[in-house]
Amino acid sequence: MSVRVEADIAYLAGECRVEDAEPLLGFLQSGSSRVVDLTQATHLHTAVLQLLLAFRPHVVGPASDTFVQRWLIPQMTDT
Amino acid sequence: MDELLEQFLIEGRELTEQANDDLLALERDPTSSSNIDSAFRAVHTLKGSTALFDFAPMTEALHAAEDLLGSLRAKQLLADRTIVSVLLECIAASERWIDCIERTERLPVGAAAQASALRQALLAPLKREDQQTSTPPPDLEWLAPLLAREGQSMAAARGAGRTITALRYVPNSDCFFRGDDPVALVRSVPELLAFRVTPREPWMKEGYDPFACNVVIEALSAASPDDLRRIFRLVPDQVVVIEVGNRIGQFAPNGDVSLMDKSLESGLRTLRVEASRIDTLVDVAGELIVAQNTLAHLAAKARQSDPALAHAMAANHADFERLVANMRSAVMRLRTVPLSTTFRRFPRLVREIADKLGKDVEFVVSGQDVEADKSIVDGLFEPLLHVVRNALDHGIESSAARRSAGKPTTGKVMLQASREAEQIVVTVTDDGAGIDLSAIRKAAEARGLMPEPVLNALQDSAATDLIFAPGISTATQVTDISGRGVGMDAVRTAVELLGGRVDIVSGIGSGTTIRMTLPQTVFVTAVMTVRVGQELYGVPLDVVAETARIPIDRINAIRSGEAFVLRDRTIPLVRLSSILDISTPERSGADVKVLVVSYGNQRVALEVDAFVDRAEVLMRPMAGLLSGMPGVLGTALLGDGRVLIILDVSELIG
Repeated sequence: MSVRVEADIAYLAGECRVEDAEPLLGFLQSGSSRVVDLTQATHLHTAVLQLLLAFRPHVVGPASDTFVQRWLIPQMTDT
Repeated sequence: MDELLEQFLIEGRELTEQANDDLLALERDPTSSSNIDSAFRAVHTLKGSTALFDFAPMTEALHAAEDLLGSLRAKQLLADRTIVSVLLECIAASERWIDCIERTERLPVGAAAQASALRQALLAPLKREDQQTSTPPPDLEWLAPLLAREGQSMAAARGAGRTITALRYVPNSDCFFRGDDPVALVRSVPELLAFRVTPREPWMKEGYDPFACNVVIEALSAASPDDLRRIFRLVPDQVVVIEVGNRIGQFAPNGDVSLMDKSLESGLRTLRVEASRIDTLVDVAGELIVAQNTLAHLAAKARQSDPALAHAMAANHADFERLVANMRSAVMRLRTVPLSTTFRRFPRLVREIADKLGKDVEFVVSGQDVEADKSIVDGLFEPLLHVVRNALDHGIESSAARRSAGKPTTGKVMLQASREAEQIVVTVTDDGAGIDLSAIRKAAEARGLMPEPVLNALQDSAATDLIFAPGISTATQVTDISGRGVGMDAVRTAVELLGGRVDIVSGIGSGTTIRMTLPQTVFVTAVMTVRVGQELYGVPLDVVAETARIPIDRINAIRSGEAFVLRDRTIPLVRLSSILDISTPERSGADVKVLVVSYGNQRVALEVDAFVDRAEVLMRPMAGLLSGMPGVLGTALLGDGRVLIILDVSELIG
């Protein structure tokens, strides 16, 4: 399990897979001002990435993984 | 002329040349996608520039050509001969239009009708194709905004001269079920320069389906297209990979991102300078040579009064001379262009002419990298065209005639160039029928050039040389191509104007070679200065075969003239003083000084009073009233301020 939810914050850790998308969707739909912490994520599956792009939660970084930090987080903060 | 229009003319010519080269290459290899791409880019850019001006018919014709090239690119059509021909026609028309625009700043009357005919011809293959298949061309609309947006990310890779590959990946919406992770694939792309994920359909928070992939991925990488294709080999139908060259991202005036011509980009870094500015520099460098000669003159004068000063001056002069020589060669190189700028126009012309004549001809060009002064390279076009036309029309026989002569049915014409010392040699060789000397003799007789017995006594090489006489043509019938009375004499005149000479070698049945020898530069002329009476004259060194002293008793009077035998060859002797109408005392010494000059295929000796010097001078052609003066090539300023008249030997004797 790479999605751990604590109150309003979802911590994504390690390699996030396609099956992480459904629980994350549930988390994002369960309230407003949701926060997703990516500091420990080493990869986001496309299904997870597009979910974050669609719902635009507040993202916490920086990610320790360079690809996530360099290329994926900017997608979510881009206007 | 408007600066923008000037720029258009220069670039327009470059682009038509590029398209031409590519199309001809395409004809040889119809599958060469690099040539299709390059021709497409050239036509696309040219079309874009015409739109800046009021040249609508040209824009339309080029637009149609671009469409046709587009479907070649998409591999919906094969570049067969018909298609290449119609594209070449469009480029040829564009060249004519550009020429006309240069003269009049507008398109010629009738351009609209011509353009619409071209348009129809260009679009005809597309219509034919529409009925057969319906593969849509790859949609490249996305590329321009991507490149525009990511200009900065590409700057470093471009600076390093790397190729840039663009990628667009639209994963199928059910791809997650097949185990695909598009982001993971992009992650494995080496040297990623840009990466952007956008929704394919707008995001729907209501009823969001976490398992339907809804993204479009666009990326740029410094890796090669092949590397990228390898990574995406399992989803080839979902990706478009395209190489965008290394200087993409420049905006064309119409706001389009132009796919810059790679051949322009990958070549040497160049700076475009107006020709007149270079000419100014050439003039200044020329004056410097004159100034340097003055110094030599002063040093010689000082030797009598102050040997130490003279010595110092001489040492200084040597340095000066070396620097001036360096500068001279650098300046000369500025005006130097490769012969390819003229040679590249020929393959298409040869193809057109051969088609018109119904002859099967292989045309081989070599040595196009040889360089010469721009005026020489440009000036060569007309005479070369004439010679090549002759080779195709009169030289190469019909296939049937060749077959019965036991030759390959395809004729061969070669255009070659090489450097020989300070000169360039351009030859046109055909393996055709050769020149019929009896026909030449007959034609010369009919024109009354020489009486029959003289003609028959002429050696074959001299008879061949008659082809350069005005009005001589061996063409039995006047064709559209040649034989209209503009003979080889025009070729000789044109080449001589460039400071060169023409020779011909021909063998019955084996073909003809026309050889043009030209100076590489027109800048400095080496002359021999000679004294006649009290006056100095210059004779261009390139016509001087040798200088000699001939004992008076070896000179024989022949009718009204004189001649002597030099190494078993009889050489007519002409007194320069009598041609120039200068009174000189009778011969007094035991021998006379002569300058043996070559004149066409012959040698003539010019008697002078003294040989003075050999010098390199900046020759100025005669201008104004003096320009018509016979026998004078031009003038040059000598170190001591005197003006040297440079003689046109062939005009004086001929």
